[in-house]
Amino acid sequence: MTTTGARPEAMPIATIGPARLFAGVGQGDPHSHDHHRRTHGELSRIDKQGLVSALATVGLRGRGGAAFPVADKLAATPAGGASEVVVNVSEGEPASHKDRTLAQTAPHLVIDGALTVAQSLRTRRVTIAVRDRGAADVFSWALADRADTRKVRLQATSGGFVSGEARALLQSIAGMPAVPPGHRVLPTVSGLGGKPTFVSNAETFAHIGLLACHGVEWFGEVGASERGTTLVTLVGDLPHTGLVEAPHGIGLGELAGTGGPTLIGGYHGTWVDRVDDLRLDRAHLHGRGLHLGAGVIARLPQDTCALGEVTRIARWLAAESSGQCGPCFFGLPAIAGDLDALMAGRLPTRGLEHLRRRLDLLPGRGACGHPDGAAMFIRTALDVHQAEIADHLAHGTCGRSCTGALPLDTTGANWS
Amino acid sequence: MTTSHLEIDWTRCDGHGLCSRLLPERIDLDEWGFPVFTDGAMTNDDALAAALLAARSCPALALRVRDTS
Repeated sequence: MTTTGARPEAMPIATIGPARLFAGVGQGDPHSHDHHRRTHGELSRIDKQGLVSALATVGLRGRGGAAFPVADKLAATPAGGASEVVVNVSEGEPASHKDRTLAQTAPHLVIDGALTVAQSLRTRRVTIAVRDRGAADVFSWALADRADTRKVRLQATSGGFVSGEARALLQSIAGMPAVPPGHRVLPTVSGLGGKPTFVSNAETFAHIGLLACHGVEWFGEVGASERGTTLVTLVGDLPHTGLVEAPHGIGLGELAGTGGPTLIGGYHGTWVDRVDDLRLDRAHLHGRGLHLGAGVIARLPQDTCALGEVTRIARWLAAESSGQCGPCFFGLPAIAGDLDALMAGRLPTRGLEHLRRRLDLLPGRGACGHPDGAAMFIRTALDVHQAEIADHLAHGTCGRSCTGALPLDTTGANWS
Repeated sequence: MTTSHLEIDWTRCDGHGLCSRLLPERIDLDEWGFPVFTDGAMTNDDALAAALLAARSCPALALRVRDTS
């Protein structure tokens, strides 16, 4: 693993294999458009058909969590001056740092991607929605340093986990409450202000920028079923922590070593017993019932109470419910209460069964994927921490206290 | 005929529970009174008619019948 340059932020960045998103980072001013062009060359203009075909060839999937094929999304967005392009830099996942860090280290790649999509759709309507204050400053400096971005709008957003969901974000940009709408209409049909909208995560746009600067062949030189690289945030008791750019297809063991239960995909993600038989490849992980989500891989240190950590996150997930949908609004706090009781060894007979039944009832019963993701996180946490749960049921403790090893601090949430 | 299925706008549903009374064979209620589909797909006209009636009766306009694509 290569550590890439010194950065002022706390999150260290590194690369396995070639640095692409992080190429030239630490070697010049990230705000400078000249420095960016020297690193990545000129941006080529690609029409919609050409871009859809290039995106399909490299198999690019959205990097916000849902992993939707980007070629399909672009193909579904009608071309024309009314269409909107929205870059989602809200990064509501507290354990993930990839989007705000990418914004601060390679803002011009993200902008390149946004302009490429907009130009292919023959629209000038581009919005970059940023929550992190530092990232917003860098975008504003980067936008000011290039001549092709006069129409790009930088929009401050606020709010928590659910407000980063693409449709909630579009509501928020349009000046409405940042909650997911109840009807399931795709943004490509009716998005920002009711206009057809191509909305994707900042990292997705950065990869589109790479594709437009370097071409399909170069892009495909590394990778697996999905070509190119991906960003992963490594958290906790791992051989290396911080943000890593790695090529698709490498073993997760190379990123996370071997050890105890590991969380893949963040707080809407999945706990697994071991990672050494898994690869960094969304299609492969999907086949195992796993999702890379926003690219978080975490392992708890030995000195903390795992059940306590899970309960703490469950409480947070309950508090992050936007409160619109009953099953999530009532279900998540009840489940967090069950976990509290389980921790204290006070869970009644069949209480664990009751808890699992509550978890089984969450998926598919909300306007967004929050109840589904929260249920996945908690259910799989119970599966992999059975020995510890047995200790809590028998003694009311596992002998360790909860140190708060799983991050909940969402820096940059405040703009004032 | 095309298959139809029941759908809920969860942002509208207030847990009145009327749907479960009208379609007990298809809809249970959870411990807070919110619907749980036990069988959401309708494959014949009688079932569809009953579901449409239930959808029209929903006090929160949260229950809908949609064609399965």
